[in-house]
Formats: sequence, C-alpha cells, structure tokens
Amino acid sequence: MHFDCCSNSETIVSRREMLTRVGCGFGAMAFAAMLAQNSMASAILGPDGRPALVAGGKSAKAKRVIFLYMAGGPSHLDTFDYKPELERADGKNLSVGRGNGQLLASPWKFQQGGKSGLWISDLFPNVRNCADDICLLRGMKTAVPAHAQASVMMHTGSFQFVRPSFGSWVLYGLGSGNENLPGFITINPGAGNGGAQNYGASFLPASVQGTRVDVGRNGNRGGGGGRGQATPDEPIEDLRNDRYTRSAQREQIDFVQALNKERQRREKDNAIEGLIESYELAFRMQAEVPELIDLTNEKQSTLEMYGIGTAATDGFGRQCLLARRFAEEGVRFIEVSQGGWDTHRNLRTDMERQCGAVDRPIAALLTDLKQRGMLDDTLVIWGGEFGRTPYAQNGDGRDHNAKGFTIWMAGGGVKGGLSYGSTDPTGGEAIDGVMDIHAWHATALHLMGLDHSTLTFNHAGRDFRLTDVKGRVVPEIVA
Amino acid sequence: MNIAHFHHLPPRLTLPITLVAAALAASAAPPPASLDRPSAARRDDPMEEMQNDAMDSDAMGSSGMSAGEVRQKDPSELTQAEISFFESKIRPVLSGACFKCHSEGSRVRGGLRVDTPDAMLRGGESGPAIVPGDPDSSILIRALRHSDEDYEMPPSGKLSDAVIADFERWVEMGCPDPRARENFGTTSTTPDAYRASASGIDIEKGKEFWAYQLPTRTEPPAVQHADWPRGDVDAFLLHGMEQHGIAPVKDAEKSTLLRRVSYDLTGLPPSPREVDAFMRDKSKDAYEKLVDRLLASPAFGERWGRHWLDVARYAESSGKETNILYPHAWRYRDWVIDAFNQNTPYDRFIVEQLAGDLLPARDDREFAQLWIATGYLALGTKSHNARGRAQFQADLVDEQIDAISQGLLATTVACARCHDHKFDPIPQKDYYALAGIFASTETRYGTVAQQQNNHPAQLIRLPEGVGLPLGPTQPESVQRLLAAAYDRIAATVENAPTAAELREARLAESRGEKPKIDLQAAQRARNAQGQLEVYNHLATRFDTDGKPTSGNLLAMGAAESGRVIAVPLLERGEIDKAGAIVPRGVPQVLCVGATPELSSASSGRLELAQWIASDTHPLTARVWVNRVWLHLFGKGLVRTPDNFGSSGQAPTHPELLDALAVDFMEDGWNTKALIKKLMLSRAYQLDSTPDANQAKVDPDADWYGHMLHRRLEAEAIRDSMLAAAGTLDLERPVGSMVNMVEGSARLDQFMQLLIPDSRTRSLYLPVVRDAVPQSLQVFDFAESSFVTGDRDETTVPTQALYLLNDENVLRIADAFAKRLQRDEGTTDERVQRGFVLALGRKPTGAEASASRAFIKHFEQVATRSSAAQPQETPAQARGNRRANQPFGQRIRERMGRSDSTIPNDPELIALSAFCQSLFATAEFRTLD
Repeated sequence: MHFDCCSNSETIVSRREMLTRVGCGFGAMAFAAMLAQNSMASAILGPDGRPALVAGGKSAKAKRVIFLYMAGGPSHLDTFDYKPELERADGKNLSVGRGNGQLLASPWKFQQGGKSGLWISDLFPNVRNCADDICLLRGMKTAVPAHAQASVMMHTGSFQFVRPSFGSWVLYGLGSGNENLPGFITINPGAGNGGAQNYGASFLPASVQGTRVDVGRNGNRGGGGGRGQATPDEPIEDLRNDRYTRSAQREQIDFVQALNKERQRREKDNAIEGLIESYELAFRMQAEVPELIDLTNEKQSTLEMYGIGTAATDGFGRQCLLARRFAEEGVRFIEVSQGGWDTHRNLRTDMERQCGAVDRPIAALLTDLKQRGMLDDTLVIWGGEFGRTPYAQNGDGRDHNAKGFTIWMAGGGVKGGLSYGSTDPTGGEAIDGVMDIHAWHATALHLMGLDHSTLTFNHAGRDFRLTDVKGRVVPEIVA
Repeated sequence: MNIAHFHHLPPRLTLPITLVAAALAASAAPPPASLDRPSAARRDDPMEEMQNDAMDSDAMGSSGMSAGEVRQKDPSELTQAEISFFESKIRPVLSGACFKCHSEGSRVRGGLRVDTPDAMLRGGESGPAIVPGDPDSSILIRALRHSDEDYEMPPSGKLSDAVIADFERWVEMGCPDPRARENFGTTSTTPDAYRASASGIDIEKGKEFWAYQLPTRTEPPAVQHADWPRGDVDAFLLHGMEQHGIAPVKDAEKSTLLRRVSYDLTGLPPSPREVDAFMRDKSKDAYEKLVDRLLASPAFGERWGRHWLDVARYAESSGKETNILYPHAWRYRDWVIDAFNQNTPYDRFIVEQLAGDLLPARDDREFAQLWIATGYLALGTKSHNARGRAQFQADLVDEQIDAISQGLLATTVACARCHDHKFDPIPQKDYYALAGIFASTETRYGTVAQQQNNHPAQLIRLPEGVGLPLGPTQPESVQRLLAAAYDRIAATVENAPTAAELREARLAESRGEKPKIDLQAAQRARNAQGQLEVYNHLATRFDTDGKPTSGNLLAMGAAESGRVIAVPLLERGEIDKAGAIVPRGVPQVLCVGATPELSSASSGRLELAQWIASDTHPLTARVWVNRVWLHLFGKGLVRTPDNFGSSGQAPTHPELLDALAVDFMEDGWNTKALIKKLMLSRAYQLDSTPDANQAKVDPDADWYGHMLHRRLEAEAIRDSMLAAAGTLDLERPVGSMVNMVEGSARLDQFMQLLIPDSRTRSLYLPVVRDAVPQSLQVFDFAESSFVTGDRDETTVPTQALYLLNDENVLRIADAFAKRLQRDEGTTDERVQRGFVLALGRKPTGAEASASRAFIKHFEQVATRSSAAQPQETPAQARGNRRANQPFGQRIRERMGRSDSTIPNDPELIALSAFCQSLFATAEFRTLD
C-alpha cells in the first residue's frame, strides 16, 4: 500500500512567511473565497500552494462546527444503540478478558423517534424528537480504551504524538468569520486527559489554537497552570481590567497607538500595522465577549427551552445557548464539554443524572438553530471518546469499550434520520459501516468543504494532516 | 584544532571509586517507584479490578543482579538444545496457562506479563518473576509450586509435577529464551542479519545532495565595492547583494547597535549607565570591547542556553495525556547555561549530552556534571499512562531519535519509522539501526508510580559533598499546601478497606447484593495510596522545614542498560509487526566522512556522539553555525533550521555557510568566537530600515542588505519590563519551582502561588508542558514538545490583552512608576527617564509632549470618582461598578498580597499607566 503522508510540496513556504500570511488572514482569505465562490471547488490555496478546499459543490454545506464533547465515554447501549438481543441475553455470561462477563440489558426502554423512526432510549426523550435531523454513527471504534489516549485521539487524530486539534485544523482551513472574536472557542474544557492538547495548535500557527472560555463555574484553569485564575467574570484570560474604566483604558490605548504611529513614521516597520490592529481587536473583544456571554437579554422562553434556571440543566443549557450565540457571531469551531460519563458503577443513577443534564439543552440547541435557519450550515456533533461494554461491571456499571460505540452528527449537510453502521447483536464491537476516528474526521472536514488529504501543513520535513496517512470520507452519510 | 583530547580515549574508563559505589548503589537500589510500596492489599487481591482511569499495569523493576543470579543469554547465543527445550516445554505452558492474564492485551494481573523475556525479568508488583539460575528465588517457580499462599498459579489448579520440574530446570539453565526482546516487537524469533530491502533508495546517489557532502572552504568572491566588507562574511554577503542589484543601507546608529547587541548577547536591555558609557566611548574599538564584555557576562549563558533549550525541547514535565512533572530537569537547564558561559567547545558539548556518563572525569564533581548533561536524552514527551511497555519503549526511543536527528543534524530520521523516508535517502532500516543504540540505553527520567503513571523509571543519584546545590527551599505557603494535601490523602488512605473487605464487597456487588462498604470510596482510597507514594517520595527530598535534603541530589539522564541489543525492523512501525533484526548503526547517507565502529560491549552512544561531533560529519557544524546565524540575523542561511533535507530549503549562501562551518571547526568549535565574528561583520551592524530599492525588491532582507526588525522573545519582554522597573533579580535561583513538588496534582495552585512574585529572569520560570506561564505563552514561547529551531513571531490580540490587563504587568508597571517617582523631578524629567529605562533612548519632542499630556489627563481621571462611559451595557456596567471604586482602593486590594501598599495617589496611578503604555508599544518589543 502506498501512503501519501509525505507527498512533497512543490513550493515550501517558510513558517515565518506562513505566519505572515495567517497574520493578514490566510484563514480570512479562505473564508472570503468560500463565500464568494459559493463553495465551488478549489478556491483556496493551502500553505503549500496547492488547493486545500477541493470538495465540490454541495458537500460544503457546513460553515461551522458545534462539538458537544461527552468526556468519560457515554454508554451507547443505554442511549443511541438499540440492542434487543442484549435485552434477551441479559445476565448471560460472556467470555471476555475483563469484568465478570455478565451481559447487562439496558435498564431503559427504547422508542422510535420522528418520521425516520430512529431508536433512541428514554434517557434522551427530547433529542429523540429531533431524530429526523440526526445521523447516528453506530459503527464507531477508536484506538485505546483509556480516557486520556482516546480523548486526545478524538481531538487530534493521534494519541502517540502531539498534533494540532480538530478545531485548529478547521480554523486553519477556513479562517474566522468574526474579526472581534477568536475563531475557535472551547467552553469549559476539562483539565485532564490531554488538557490543553485537546484544543492546542501544536505546530500550526499559534493563532489557530482554541481560546478557552470559562463560564458559570469557579474556574480552575486546569491546563493553564500559572496563568491567571479564571472567574465567571473573566471568561477569557486577561479579558478584564480591574483598574481602569473603559474610557480610561481607551485613552491609554490611544496614547499607545500614538507612540506606535510615531514609530511607524520613523521606522517603516511593517509589523506595526498588525500590532496596532491587535490592540483594537483586543479592545473590542473586551466589550464584545462579556456582552456575548451575558444571557440576560435572551427571551425567557429561550432560556426555558434550554433548561436554564432549572438546576439539573442550567449548566449545560448555558453552554449550549452560548454555543449558539458564538455560532451566530461567526466563530468557526465551538466545543462544549460535559464530563461525568465514566459509569463503571451506579449506571442507573448516573446515566439518569448525566442525560438529564444534557438532553433538553441539546434538543433546544438543535431546535433553536433550526428556527434560525442555521442548522443547515452548522454541523453539530455529539459524542465521547469511546463507548461502554455490553457486560456489566460491578453489577450496575459498564467498562470502557473502544471497539464499538455511537456518536451522532446533525445539520451541516449530514443526512438526518439516518442510522449508519452497527455493532454486533449485543453491542460490543462495530461490525458494519465501521468508522474509525480518521474516517469521522475526514467526513466532518468534507462536510466543511475541506479535503482531508490536501489540508496539510509542512512541519519537520513533511506535510501533516489531521488524518495522518489514513481517513476516508463516508459518502453514505452526506446529504 | 584541539578536539582529540577525548576522541581517542577508550570508552571504558576508570571512575573515581566513590562514584562507582554511588552509581552502583543508585542502580541497585529499588527505583523511587517501588519504595515502600504499600501493596499487600493490591497484589494478592484476585478480584482486584483493573482500574480504568489508571492503567495500573506496573512498573519497571531494577536491573541490578543479585547473588546466585546468572545472566540470561541473548537469543543469538542460545544453543539448539536450549531453544528446543524452551519451545517444547516452556512456551506451550506459558501461552496455555498464563497468557490469558499475563500478556500484553490481557488484564496484566499484578502487573506481570510473561509474554516476553524482558517482561518476565522485570516482573510485576511483587518483583521479578524469574531469577535466571535460581529457581528458589523465582516467584514464578514458587507460584507454580503453590509453596506460597499468596501466589498459587495458575488459579485454576496446580500444574503437573513434571511441568513444574521443567520450569525449575529451565530457570536453572538460566532461562534460555529465544523470544525477541520486547523493546521492539514481540514476534520475531531468530535474529537474522538484515537483508537490504527493496527500498529503491540509492544511498550513493543520495550522498550527492549538498547537505551530505563535507563542507569546503572557498575563497570569498570579488566584489565591486571592495571598501565595504570588513571580512569574509561581508564579502560573501555583498557579492549576493550585488548580484541582485542591491546596495547595503547605512550603518545603524550607535544607540541602536547597543540595544541590538545587548539583547542578542544577554537578552537584556542596556542599563542607562551602559548607554552613557558606550555613547561616550569614542575609541575605535568601543564596539568590539562591548561585544567582548557582554560575551563574558553570565547573562550570555542564560540567553544562549535558552536558545539551546528550545532545540533540546527542554521542559519540566512529560506533556501528552497526563503531564507528570520532571522535578529534576532543572539540573540539565543549569548545565546548559554553564556550558555556554564556559564556552565549552560545541563538539564536546554534544558528546557530553549524548554520552557524558561514558566520558572520563577528573573528579566526582565533573563526573556528576557529565551525567547531568545526558538529561538531554531523558527530557522528551512521554505517555506515562500508556498500557504496553513495548509501545512505551518504542515511543521513547522514537522521541530521542527525533530530537537528536533534528536538533543536531537537521535531518528528519523519525520519518523513517514506518517506511523508507519519502524525500531523503534514509531507508527504514537506518532508523532501526539507530534505534538499537537507544534500545541498549536506559533512560532515567524518574517519576513515581501512581494513578496515570505506569512507567516510572530510576533517576541518577548524584554524589554528595561536591558542591552541587541541593535544590530550592519550599516557601511556607507551599509547605502549607503540601501538608494539607498530605493530610487529606492520608486520611483517605486510612479509610481504605482491607483486601478481604474489598474482595467481599465486590463479590457481594456482583451477586447483586448491597456491599457492606462504599466501593467508590474504596476506589478513591486506592488511588490515594498512589498519591501517598508521591508525597512519601517528596518527603525523602525535603525536610520538615521545607529545606532540600541530600535526597534531592537527583538528575535525569541516560545510562548503559547493560544489555546491548539490536532491534527488529517494525513493519509500518507497528509494535506487533517485527521483522528482521537490524544491526546497530547510523544513517548510511551521512557516512561520507567516517562510519562509526560500534563496540559490542556498550550501547554505541559514545561512538554515535563522537561521530556526530566530528569534523568529518557533513551536517553538525553547518547546522550549528546556521542556528547561531539565525539568532543574530533573524533567519537562517538555511531557512529551515531543523531540516536540511530535500524537503527543507537550500541555503541562500551555500559558500558562506560552508566557510563558516569549516572555520568554526578549525577554531575548535568555539561558539563565542563564531558569535563575535558575526557581530563584527558590517552586515550585522546595518540599519534596519530598507531603502526604496530594497523595500521593493527585497523587503524581507533575503540578501541581508538591511537588518530585520525582530520581535523580542517572550523571556526578553518580561525581563525588560522587570529591568525597567528596577526589580529584575539577576541572580540565578537555586533549582526550579517544579522541584518543590512531584507527580501532577495541584500544580496550578503552586504556580499561582509562586509565579506572580517571581522576579527572576524568565528562563527560570517553570516550563511545564501545556502549562507555560502566560507571560511566556502569549509571546510564542517554544513548543517544548518538539525541537524548535525558530520560534513563531505572531501578533495576536491575546498579547494586547496580556499587556493591558494582566495583573502581573500592572504590578510591574506600578514598580516602574514608583522608581520614577522616587527621583525628584518634573513630569518631563520623569518622562525622559521612563523612555530611557524602557526603550533605551530619549523621547522625541512629540513623544514627550504626548506623554506629559497623557499623564496629566490620567491624573485627573484618576482623581475623579467616576469615569464610567455614559452609555454602557449591563455587562459593562457590572465591570464599571467595580471600576468605579476609587482607584487606590482597588489597587490596594489587588496589591494586597504583595509587600507594598499603594497610596491612593493619582500621580502614581497616572505614572503607572504611562509606564505600562511604554511596555505596550511596538518599540518595546521590537529590536531594530
């Protein structure tokens, strides 16, 4: 088999030149071109001078991603992968290497939702109502059944090496859609299991790394040790100035800019232009971001729809609503995280709690996006780093399972009301329509109009991709 | 040239006796990981559940040999009889009765695997499974005999006496085992000389590429303006300019030059006194004296040592998924700084880092320093929570190959891990040849086994009484935090159920009954045991007053593993696709000058090091010369400093690069002399503003017709702020903050506690991967997971936010303002002094009047109780409510934990805003 991981590029552009281009908006260029060209093929030249945007015509529906990351590995068998056979075989012994091997039927009933009739359990009654917008990927598998590796794998496509994150690649490929906001925002990311690596830029330009936004929790910036303590009032590092009023700070910036312009006149230093602009952007962000995360101007009905104000759903509801607001403002990639899915025991109580916290907000997000006409060009992804075993652990729990699990996607040009792929009759292993992380990444990029095999960055002597030497687009799930 | 002083010494050397003893003690002692392992409850618990958050397959043992033990033969040494004994009597039983629980991919109960010889020797939580030659000491035999209640194996029932006798005999024979060593793959059976693959790479043809030919000296070309060049460097450069129709711009102003040289050599701005002295010195050699003085200052090593630390991917934690701290990495950092200050010849500098442990030493202190140098090999990223030992080991070696080949040779050898290199003539075989050298090396990176850390290793124990610093003293705040954490963990552990209780509870739960104890709490207690280990280890390094003890005399580094092995080529780099064994060696295409002969008695590291650091290596000198050039001219003669291969860029001035490389070697690999030569060139002293022609045809100074504007590195920006404020502490701190802790927990709190008050130079701030201090991160600090030859220079709004709002910046500005205020004088005098301190020059008339106006106006703003904007949103209003408190009050609140109390003084506030504004200017962060 011949790999094309190292296909040499005709023109190598130095890292610094690349950064200059990014500085003046390689990404912005890409985005403008995409709009201008109405997602026609080959509009954008990659860093190596070859087209990065190759996917043609109708595949390029998605303009942004909202990734609902369920950290810990939610059980597919109790949510989105209906296994009647598992019900029948409840309590039977299974010869497995770990655990006691007794199959455990899901304690929850499954019902069909929507016109498409997708089977979804009673843990997700609201999401089930959105079934016709959802494409279940029931044949997922990943590399390693350990949280840290699988999380980093899902976010970067590699657990062995430090690589750029999915969101960084998307931002690198498409640029940001709002000059007042970062193009890749991750809301309340977890600190462990790779931490900042999960939204890091690695060797891509630093400007495409995810910006961490902390809301609604007394933040401990896990991955950012040594940096300022986040507070609900300061969702982005150093966003707030405690000392000077806005007008006072404006005067200060005006003074700085006057000195900068004086220098520009004297030195003809091209970098000054960008620096002057960076202060203006920072100043606008200070105003814009608090505005954006301030939900008080949302209608009461909207807040209720997201479950904001209800204890169980308030936290995640806020994050989902924020995700919509960032999406509206042109942020390219938004990640929302919810931990607590590692149900080795107490499956019954923990899954009720977990799903109870996210079901309503997720359904609200899908509905809200749809009402605003944004679901068509927003790719919503739900999933965790792996699934759980069909056999019980500790009587009332399930173990990690990398061999088969379910994630789903909605909107953004994906086929709704579809179940693609499947696990074996008791749900342990993906056997049909199997998608690994690379295939999922490749397909998601395809939906964004990006060709995973040409979206590359030259580093350490070769062209790197999100999908490394692997990945294939799964056309069956593209609308 | 004088490099022969160590090249021709034999690799085996007589070490000082005390050190031999120390070294033996260090390697024979159990690794920190296994100290006081409270594992009775863990290891004999058959119901013990694989704790999924923590892959707790264990822990490597030591390589020391005990009495009665015989050496296990390598596969290549086995007789046919020994092989067939293993194949007929031993292997079937192992795979039939043991693999289910004790092989890679199984649960690896008790941390024990028996599917490779290494895994058996290493053993599990209870120690080595086999002791070759000594059945009675072999846990495996005891378990088979059912002579020990704790280990009755297999659990399904005792094997026949005949089988047990076979195993006893096998151990007596010395455990002959033809299975491949696990470092790389497990399926290869008999070693087999590698047969040239059908790779299609033509090595001889590959050697024709410019980078693989030895550099040669050519005479500098004739130039039209023969009066311009001050030496060969200028002649080569001017020739290039003339060919492209460019004339060099004017020479830089003296003050510009002073600032340029100061930052380039020390990373610090010139002090006002230095400015005065230099401006007054009208002697002809004033500039050269300046260069000499700064080359000799201790700050030189800090500046250039940090450049090297970028290349050495220096960090104080493992990075990747779990980010375990490396508390002893700082000794390598200090070693690098000292090496630059002592101007250690670069060839020697390389050999010490790759094989310092194998070099002769005059005394214990030098021996210790040489061993610390090998920390270079141990610092890389690692996945401490990886499950399989073989994969972990392969990744470790891969990281070393990548760091060395890119860092020292600008060659991307790691590309050949999975297949032949796509662009460069490096077959996959060459990768595994190099891998054998490192597979025969033991990398000592330390760390303590705990949740999320399955791969602790030893450290190097350094000798006492030779003047090595013990480490930092824990401040009281850190001691308090640690004590509180310890109490909490100890309390959790105290509540841990006994093994019997745990077993019973799990059985009950699996029967669907309610267990008597809280299983989740039990799990927490179990994890806490691991954490307790970490604290116990910390207690061996610090006494109860927080002072470092001799137990803290530890370093990271490399040592001979004691077993020289060649590794098999892995198909597609996959650990279970082992092919033929590849003899150890180096990439063939680089052997244009010499091919190293690797001793069969040692890993080959020393030979590798000497080969790399020889004047017959085509790349080493060129790569280093290019790195030095890059730091002085803003970009390399080869623009891709870590990749001289065909996918990198060719040099813009190949003859100049070669001439510099050849001269450098002939000068005895003298880095300071090289730097001085480049700084004395006229090209280095050019103005940074291009003329109209250059602005059009060569704005990026590809032909060096003008100097580039360069952005200061993160460290220089923070150091300059502190220097302007007069609070920079130029003393090197002892150790690192990271040394005060261990493991991975609560790092945030420690850093929060310690970093804001730090006044040391920025290179001494903790470098924890993925958690670099904001002051460094925001200005493109090196990505310490990789070799970074050339840092990014981005301009992004987070930098503006940092300079405008960060509490530490505000505090430094306050200190700067107080410094100005202490000098009696008019506002104008203060403005003048502020410019000189921050920017190294006096303000222009326009700047001075703008500054005075700003200060005056800001004083009024600060005096008013409210400066809120008339139309504000609710969110802004919330912010402004805070902002509308009197300034002084808020500042006092903010400054509460520092030593000073700021009066409610509008003048000081305005001065502080002025000082901060100077930090925020383009000029402050730019080198002209």
